Amino acid sequence: MLSLAFACFLAALAIGTCVEVVARFLNLWTYRSPLYPLINVVLIFGLVQGFGVGWVIGGREALRGVFPVLFMVGAVLGLLTEGLNEYWLHAWSWSDRPILGIRRSIDKSAFIGVAWGFAPLLTVFLARLIAATPAAGA
Amino acid sequence: MNPALSRTDKIHAAILAAGGGGLVCAYWIAFFRSDLTLPKFVHDMTNPALVRLTTVYLGFESAFPLADLLIAVTASLAAFYLVGRDAKAVLFGLIASGALGFLGFIDISFNLLHGLYAPALLLKDGGLLMEAMINVTCVSGAIWSIWRLWGHPLRRAEDRPSRLMGPRENDPPTA
Repeated sequence: MLSLAFACFLAALAIGTCVEVVARFLNLWTYRSPLYPLINVVLIFGLVQGFGVGWVIGGREALRGVFPVLFMVGAVLGLLTEGLNEYWLHAWSWSDRPILGIRRSIDKSAFIGVAWGFAPLLTVFLARLIAATPAAGA
Repeated sequence: MNPALSRTDKIHAAILAAGGGGLVCAYWIAFFRSDLTLPKFVHDMTNPALVRLTTVYLGFESAFPLADLLIAVTASLAAFYLVGRDAKAVLFGLIASGALGFLGFIDISFNLLHGLYAPALLLKDGGLLMEAMINVTCVSGAIWSIWRLWGHPLRRAEDRPSRLMGPRENDPPTA
């Protein structure tokens, strides 16, 4: 049986890969090095938001009441990630293309930072589906 | 050019990020994953009055995560924009501080009405003592933050308009 912890990691990797593919297709942001998207998907999506937040908080049977906490922790960590990049790391930069009408780089970082809150939420939903599939149990 | 970040601004940003964002998250993780934040009386199943109070207390507490989400996110946004010396720091900081004060007073009101601040209870129950300290910190932190942000130079600073806001009267014409 596939453990929920590993399913959270896999689900977050899948979500992260989708996000990066869509962002590249829409030309929303560009990385300074080709290695950074891989680090982002494996480390930030997979380990931090998926395994760390998704499993640690949403890894119990009863999910009732935990959803706001999943979003809260995901968004706070997301803002931390975006803030570190915006002010110090500069690992990725925003294109000129607006995101839902938002044009300024600092506002895009803030908006995407909050949107990170959906990552652990979606991870937990997807992970439970993965863990419950017959193929995972085989 | 917006005003430079003073030393007190750095401390304020750290308090908003660590206190408003980090500690609120840590509290709720501890609430759902351990007994660390719970007062001792919730474990007493022998006294019917305390069992009733426990049901009310836990029902009351479990209504807070969604409201605390607003505080954690807006406090983190305020810290984010304060570090970037952007005027939106004042907007999000005031929202976070107002929400923090509001929730602090609701908690204080509940605890007063149910006699949970009784010195005898506070002295023997670490969970209640921690909650009383959190209440005091929430209200005093909110008042300090509102006072600071209202007098902050960023309150009068302009941030460049985003497309969401539309052009302002004094904006230069775009090509």
